[in-house]
Amino acid sequence: MASMARLTLLRQACSAAPTKRMASSIARSTINHASPLSRQPLQSAFVRDTLPGASRIATFHTTSRRPILPPLPQKVQGTLNDPTIVPDPSPAHGSYHWSFERLVSAGLVPLTIAPFAAGSLNPLMDATLCALLLVHSHVGFQSSIIDYFPVNRVPAVRSLLMWILRIATITVGVSLYEFETNDVGITEAIKRIWHA
Amino acid sequence: MATTRALARLAVRRTAVPAMWTRSFATVDPITKVGETINPSRPVVPESKTSTAKEPIPEKGSKIKTFHIYRWNPDEPTSKPRMQTYTLDLNKTGPMMLDALIRIKNEVDPTLTFRRSCREGICGSCAMNIDGVNTLACLCRIPTDTSKESRIYPLPHTYVVKDLVPDLTLFYKQYRSIKPYLQRNTPPPDGRENRQSKAERKKLDGLYECILCACCSTSCPSYWWNQEEYLGPAVLLQSYRWIADSRDEKTAERQDALNNTMSLYRCHTILNCSRTCPKGLNPALAIAEIKKSMAFT
Repeated sequence: MASMARLTLLRQACSAAPTKRMASSIARSTINHASPLSRQPLQSAFVRDTLPGASRIATFHTTSRRPILPPLPQKVQGTLNDPTIVPDPSPAHGSYHWSFERLVSAGLVPLTIAPFAAGSLNPLMDATLCALLLVHSHVGFQSSIIDYFPVNRVPAVRSLLMWILRIATITVGVSLYEFETNDVGITEAIKRIWHA
Repeated sequence: MATTRALARLAVRRTAVPAMWTRSFATVDPITKVGETINPSRPVVPESKTSTAKEPIPEKGSKIKTFHIYRWNPDEPTSKPRMQTYTLDLNKTGPMMLDALIRIKNEVDPTLTFRRSCREGICGSCAMNIDGVNTLACLCRIPTDTSKESRIYPLPHTYVVKDLVPDLTLFYKQYRSIKPYLQRNTPPPDGRENRQSKAERKKLDGLYECILCACCSTSCPSYWWNQEEYLGPAVLLQSYRWIADSRDEKTAERQDALNNTMSLYRCHTILNCSRTCPKGLNPALAIAEIKKSMAFT
């Protein structure tokens, strides 16, 4: 929270600084043009700089709205009476993917309850829980990226995020493997934190 | 301002300027002092003996309700959409929102634009967002609480043609893409009719009643973000209506058309569609049935 507030402040300061300078220089030049006999308004420029953030407030209030992915102008593909294009069937991304995802989700329920209910610390079950958690979160994040980063609007961002997700999943997978083989394992770790 | 005027008056008084150059000020002398303009046949009535013309009082027991309505005119493309406020006496208005809209159009503002046809929830023309809920104006009662103001918008996340009229071109094109008609290669066994058992017919209840008003599709966040590719609850409900039909012989093809990332599986069971449907149907259940029928196949 604090870091977010700091970011906002920083951005405001950055956007306010050049605006202020620009405003004062513009004011000076117009005054020079208007009355060449008048003195250089040195003092006024100084006063304007030390004003208690008036220009900064102005910048803050006049920042334009920047909606994320604003709607494009309407574009109708083909004539009004043509149907929309039906994509080719790909069960690997469709029904198989969905069934697999549901199986993983359903499998996670007993796997998360069992260690606490039975108290057993079978390393095989621990490993299964880790693997399913990993797959489940990967599928979930993948779904969010597909939802919010349409491939025809932001193809570069989409593929970048997908690669970040893949790298992150592999990293987490490797570290979970290390944790399971060389350390106490996830169930035992949660148990210890719980009782700490 | 007053100070400037006083100072000016002082300055004028000190310097001896001819009267024609001095600026004259409005006098506030009582009219009786002016004397010469008084017509003896119409004597001036003093202030203490006059009465004030009051505003016309509203009728007794009138229930004034305020409506804020979204307005945008395509003839003025540079002007932003705005909310316009209308007040109506509910005693003189019918019970439904559509009655209020028609009364506003007839009596207050003929430029207000909206679609309407059957006024009884059969045609689906008057779908709009009333007080934050997508519904048919003809099936939505006006809340009788006059202290609350009603807000009427067009269907959300649609391109607006004018005022409350959304552009449903994409919606209808998507409906066309699911081939909403009976597809058969074999002629009927008795050569006359494609017959159905009562149980098979019962499967279509709750599906065939859909009037394609687009209330559910435009209430679905997934459809808001991905309406170019995701079909949306209304069209998927219609697709299921033909998948579930025992007389249709192209069920596998229909399922294949939905078997990709975007068309069907952007549904995340948000259930806004079932909540908002003005006909009381359940598009989310139909989508779940499609998913179930396609699982592990």
